[in-house]
Amino acid sequence: MEASRGTDEESLSRKALAGDRGAWDALVARHHRRVVVSLLARGVRVDRAHELAQETWARLIQQQQRGLLTELRLPNLALTQAAFLAADDARRVRRESISGAVEELPERQHPVDPSVSAERRLLSEEQLSRAHAALAQVSPSARSVFLLACDGQELPHAEVAAKVGLSVQRVRQILCEVRKKLRTALEEETHA
Amino acid sequence: MLKPHLTRDSAEQYILGALAPEKAAALEAHTLECEPCAVLLQEEALLSEQLTEAASTFPQEERVIRPAAWHARRAVTGAAIAALAAAASLALVLLTGDKAPHPSLPDSLDSRPPMVAVDLDDGDSPTKTNVVACPDLATQDFCTRKAAERGLLVMNPGGTAEVPRYEAHTGLPEGALSARQPVSL
Repeated sequence: MEASRGTDEESLSRKALAGDRGAWDALVARHHRRVVVSLLARGVRVDRAHELAQETWARLIQQQQRGLLTELRLPNLALTQAAFLAADDARRVRRESISGAVEELPERQHPVDPSVSAERRLLSEEQLSRAHAALAQVSPSARSVFLLACDGQELPHAEVAAKVGLSVQRVRQILCEVRKKLRTALEEETHA
Repeated sequence: MLKPHLTRDSAEQYILGALAPEKAAALEAHTLECEPCAVLLQEEALLSEQLTEAASTFPQEERVIRPAAWHARRAVTGAAIAALAAAASLALVLLTGDKAPHPSLPDSLDSRPPMVAVDLDDGDSPTKTNVVACPDLATQDFCTRKAAERGLLVMNPGGTAEVPRYEAHTGLPEGALSARQPVSL
């Protein structure tokens, strides 16, 4: 299953690199939400996150058309491009507010410091082991669902459901349960 | 700001992409007006990113993806195999109960250590019928002794064990064909 998924992704990437618009559409549909969520996690407003995500894909397609893309590893390439655009956006906001103090802007419009965001986003080794320990304690079927849905490959919930033989609703219910357990594990570590 | 505030559940559903488009749009619009709800959404997004990191670094050997019904099937299969094994054991006991003098010790039980016949291509070497190997270190001494008593040569894979002297077990009187000293005829 994993192999066929990887082959499918590789095949789409190859076609996209060759300029196949349909392949680009499929890749954008698959990874767009992840890009938006990564921007939200950096503190970008939701409307701006959608705009930056769109711009991310436009930049990647533009680079491909100019022959500047030698390989296409998604979602990592899109996440990096989006982070760059978010940092650039933050600098632009700071420049535009040069006449007034940044603090005078509404809090949600404060420029995002990419380095601070990156540190906040990364889990420490200890947090990671705590999360792994919590994940090891959930039932094998729930763990399978979580790993399929959240390993960064952006498998749609419907595909996860088909692979494990459950309904989409049950898959989402399992995801929420596992998220709750992992959130507790991470928060315990944070407060310790 | 008449729209309801976000709950952690609704923010989670949004991040997971489980909300209907109109509900997702309403949630987004609300976070643009409500700072605490925007922060809540950011926290859920951050958690999602962290969980992705945790999932992608989870040890590979644990990542065996099986259908959910696998575990139930596996339990049922295990129970069925155990039941079949019990039935077979019972049948064996009932069928052979009157023949076996010692039910606890089957006739076929062989307590002798394992021996492996070694095939030698060299014409000058002893034939394969009188060469054995004693590969099991736990029973090597016993194996070697028994082989010696039966007049067999022992081929030790490590080449470190003592090879019994063949002529010592030919049945001839000791010293008759001694290799240690000349023998007067």
